[in-house]
Formats: sequence, structure tokens, C-alpha cells
Amino acid sequence: MKELGALIRRNVSLFFKDKGMFFTSLITPVILLVLYATFLANVYRDIFESALPAQFSVPDSLINGCVGGQLVSSILAVSCVTVAFCSNMLSVQDKVNGTLRDLTVSPVRSSVLSLSYYIASFLSTLIICFTALGLCLLYLAKQGWYLSTFDVVCLFGDVFLLVMFGTALSSIINIFLKTQGQISAVGTVISAGYGFVCGAYMPISQFSVGLQRVLSFLPGTYGTSLLRNHALRGVYDEMIRIGFPSEVVEGIKDSIDCNLYFFDRQVELPVMVGILVVAVIVLLLIDIILTGIRSRKAEK
Amino acid sequence: MKQIIEISHLNKSFGEIKAVQDLSFSVREGELFAFLGVNGAGKSTTINILCGQLRKDSGTVMIDGADLDKNRNAAKRDLGVVFQNSALDQPLTVRENLRSRAALYGITGKAFEERLRELARLLDFENLLGRTLGKLSGGQRRRIDIARALLHKPKILVLDEPTTGLDPQTRSLLWNVIGDLRRRENLTVFLTTHYMEEAADADTVVILDGGKIVAEGTPLELKNRYSGDFITLYGISEEEVKTLKESFEYRNGGYRIAVPDTAAATELILRNPDVFRDYEIVKGRMDDVFLAVTGKNLTGGAEK
Repeated sequence: MKELGALIRRNVSLFFKDKGMFFTSLITPVILLVLYATFLANVYRDIFESALPAQFSVPDSLINGCVGGQLVSSILAVSCVTVAFCSNMLSVQDKVNGTLRDLTVSPVRSSVLSLSYYIASFLSTLIICFTALGLCLLYLAKQGWYLSTFDVVCLFGDVFLLVMFGTALSSIINIFLKTQGQISAVGTVISAGYGFVCGAYMPISQFSVGLQRVLSFLPGTYGTSLLRNHALRGVYDEMIRIGFPSEVVEGIKDSIDCNLYFFDRQVELPVMVGILVVAVIVLLLIDIILTGIRSRKAEK
Repeated sequence: MKQIIEISHLNKSFGEIKAVQDLSFSVREGELFAFLGVNGAGKSTTINILCGQLRKDSGTVMIDGADLDKNRNAAKRDLGVVFQNSALDQPLTVRENLRSRAALYGITGKAFEERLRELARLLDFENLLGRTLGKLSGGQRRRIDIARALLHKPKILVLDEPTTGLDPQTRSLLWNVIGDLRRRENLTVFLTTHYMEEAADADTVVILDGGKIVAEGTPLELKNRYSGDFITLYGISEEEVKTLKESFEYRNGGYRIAVPDTAAATELILRNPDVFRDYEIVKGRMDDVFLAVTGKNLTGGAEK
């Protein structure tokens, strides 16, 4: 335990002392928030308003709250994974600059080393993503606040789960990286592609049926949906309260992936949580097994 | 004296390349053991096997009586390693670096602070503890590398080309510290180096070439076996030197004659007492030994 604690402390210190790495990670969600609010908020608002029947008069704050919830859930869904990839790069850098040799000449087990990278990366990512969530909540408060305390707690829980998922996923990918160039390439690919794959940049409901089915096998999709459900639950309640027909509300939920379907069967929120938890466990097991295999291979 | 490292019939290949071939040698407790060879001779492979970084194909490696295969962690506790390039964390302070590494050996809290104080005094870096490692000079960083290797009080200090790139003053300082440690703690030092004058101070030297041992012994034995003596005559004319009927060269104000050994030098002097008025006899250098054994030069970090 002493070894694990010391390694976690070292890894977290290195992450926060590397100002380039820290600010790049922190700035990702902030830039996303600014870009979304500047360019996409109006698009979302127009789509939402055009989808409403003509006789409906909806308060601005409700529309803003709905659009804001959608933006915030998208930003957090992307950030939890991309920031995890960024913070977890230390394990690759240690390989690249030879520090790993210095750690492995000591009697520390490879599983402890691997776990220390995971936990440290998880903690660093969590700090950044919770900060981002705080900023997002401020943004929602300004746009239109419909969240209950329970919703806020659930959002923190969703971020926690998605950070675990993102960190476990990045740990596995990092096992195969050996150079600085590979680190940059993976970072670019994840930043550019993950938002589409998880339904953050565009709702999955707008993709073709075939693609929707493929994406329904990816756990990240359910993470986005969890965030979206919790960010918008209060908005939907308000819609019902002011007289939106439940069919309309369900239609909105369908269109922005609050309702997700696995081969035409709706996936309930507890099941989404279960999928993410199982995904994290499976990814961690794969990580431990692959780390063991790779370290034995490295000794040959 | 007890053998602290015993390597027998060690073999390691990477695909078709035989990096180490049937290597057998032992290191006595408390000695300075020098391991020489050009790049690719098998030094790093052997050290990596010794430090548990690589698995061998066959052979046995015993460290302080324990089989490396059976108790790798115990062996790792007996070894302190100083890598050719510093492998510590540049953005962290000296104290943070050493604290994180000490914990890997279970040394924390008060025990760590005590050991840190001891090492800081010994290696003279008390004023550097709060400084960021990346901002230290090469020599200062090397002292911290050595402190890191000594944190857990290892029985064997492995130095992999520790002074490459350091200025002569820092090299001298480091060797003084290592000499002091050997005396005080009976530390065994396993050294690879490109500096022949460092190898000349070793108790035992092993020269590797192509993954095999090509020469082994004390520096004196190796010099006697592979390099002759040199007599340098001063205060005489070239004509007088020519009367000796030996090949010679003019160097640094004297005429240098190579002879097979000290007996031959004595015989030459006794035969020509009039010529030998002011002279000195010196043994060949380790460079000469290395050249004679491998056919290659290895001087000051560069293979020629």
C-alpha cells in the first residue's frame, strides 16, 4: 500500500506540475463550453423551437434550460474521456523517457504500477471534470435552472462513472503506445472522433439505423445519455407541468438520445449505469491482463 | 572473500543475435568490478538481466547467494542502479523524487527523513533538496541519481557509465564519494565505463566482445598479459637512443621505447647503463590492453 500511495502521489504531482498537460486538459472543457455556447446554442434552440407545435408558447428560460442541458451533457461526455486520455499519458511518457526502468528496478509489482497510473489519472481527470461540471452548472444557472439537488448529485455520479470508464479505456490504449508521436496521434484521434461515437456532437437518433445499432454496443453512448437525462430531467418535468403532451416530451427525449434503444428495446437508466459499471470492470481486467503480458514480453 | 554476484553460463539472444554467450564470472563482496566493452558487446544485456529487467535464455545468476529466478524481489533489494541517463522526474523537487522512490522499498516517514539526511550529507546536496531536478547541473543531478540508488542501502551499486558527459572535477568528486562508500559500508560496485582510467582503479576488470568474455583479471594482470612496458629516456640525444637498436618514438620531451615486460626493460638497462641516466619505466595503460584484446579503441566515451 505504501508503494501504491507513493506512486499515486508522484503521478498526480507530475500531472499538476506539468503545466502544459494540466492546462491543455483543463482548457478542453472550457473551450468546448465557449464553442458550444457561441456556435451551437442557437442551432439547438432553432431546432427545438421548430419542432414545437405552433400553438405552444414556451418561456425563454425553459428553452434555454433545455438547450443548456443538452450542451452541458455533451461537453461533459466528451471531456470525461478526452481529459482521461490526456492525464493518462504519463504512463507512456515514463516509457519514452526511461523513468519506467527506474521504477521497475525496485521490487514493485507491475500490477501496482499499473493501478497507480489508473488511480492517479482517475483523480486528476476527476478534479478537472468536476471543475468543468461546476462551470457547466454556473452556465445552466444563468441560462435556466431546472435541476433538483438529486439531479446535481446524479450528474456528479455520472461524471465519476464516465471518468472511470475513460481512464480504463485510455489505460488499455496506452499499453500499446511507445513514442511521443503515437501519444499525439491518439490524442488527436480521440479528441476528434469520440464526440461523434458517443453521441455528444450529434444525437445518435439522427444517424442511420445500422449505425445506431453499432453505436448501441459502445458503453460511452450510455454515459452521454445518463448525463443528458440528469441534465434535462427538470426541464422535462417543467414541460409536462406547463402542458406539453407527454408524446411531445417523449419525442424530444427520443430526438436527443435521452431515450436510447438497444435493438428497439428502450434501455432504462439503472441499466445504463450497470452497463458503464460492467464496462469499467471489464476494461480494468483487460488492462491488468495486458499489462502482465506486456511486462513479461518486455523482459524477453 | 565472499562472492556477492555469481553468473554462470549466461546466454541471451534477441532473434538471431546472440547478445551474451556463455558468460561466467563472479564479483567479490566490497570490490570495484569494471565491465568493459564497446557498444553492442553485451554489457547492457548483462546488466539488464542482473537488475531483473530482462529474462535470460539460460544460465544462472546468483546475487548474495539467492537465485535471481527464484527470488527476484530480494535481488532487487540488494541492488542500487545508477543509469547512464538520469531516470528521475525532472519536474519534481529532489525531495519529492527521493521520497517517491524510497517508498517503493517501504521507506517512508521518519525512516525516509533520516536516510535522506544521511545521503544529503554524504553526497553534499543538503542545499538542493527543495530544488526542481530539471534545473540542476549535470553533476548535481548525478549526485541525486546516486542518492536514489543508495536509498535502500543496497549491497551492490550498479553504475552504468555514470560519469559520461561529466566534467573532470565532478567525475573526481563522484569517485571520491563512491570510494568513501566502499570503505565505510563495504559496498560492492559494478561499473561499466568508457573511461579507461576509471577501469584502471578497479579490483577486477572483465572485457567483453561480441557477447563473450575476452579478458579477465586485475588491471595489473591484464597489463602484464596484454600490454608491454614503456621506458622513457630523458636528457639524451637521438643518436644515443639509436645505439640501443630498439624502435622508439619522441614523446613529451623524452624517447619512448616499448618493451615486452619489466624483465626485458631491466635487461636492456643493464646492457646499456651509460644511456640510462634519467629514465622511467611505466606499465601499459588499460587503453592498450583493450586495444590488444578487442582490436578496438574505447576512449572517453567513444568507440573508434
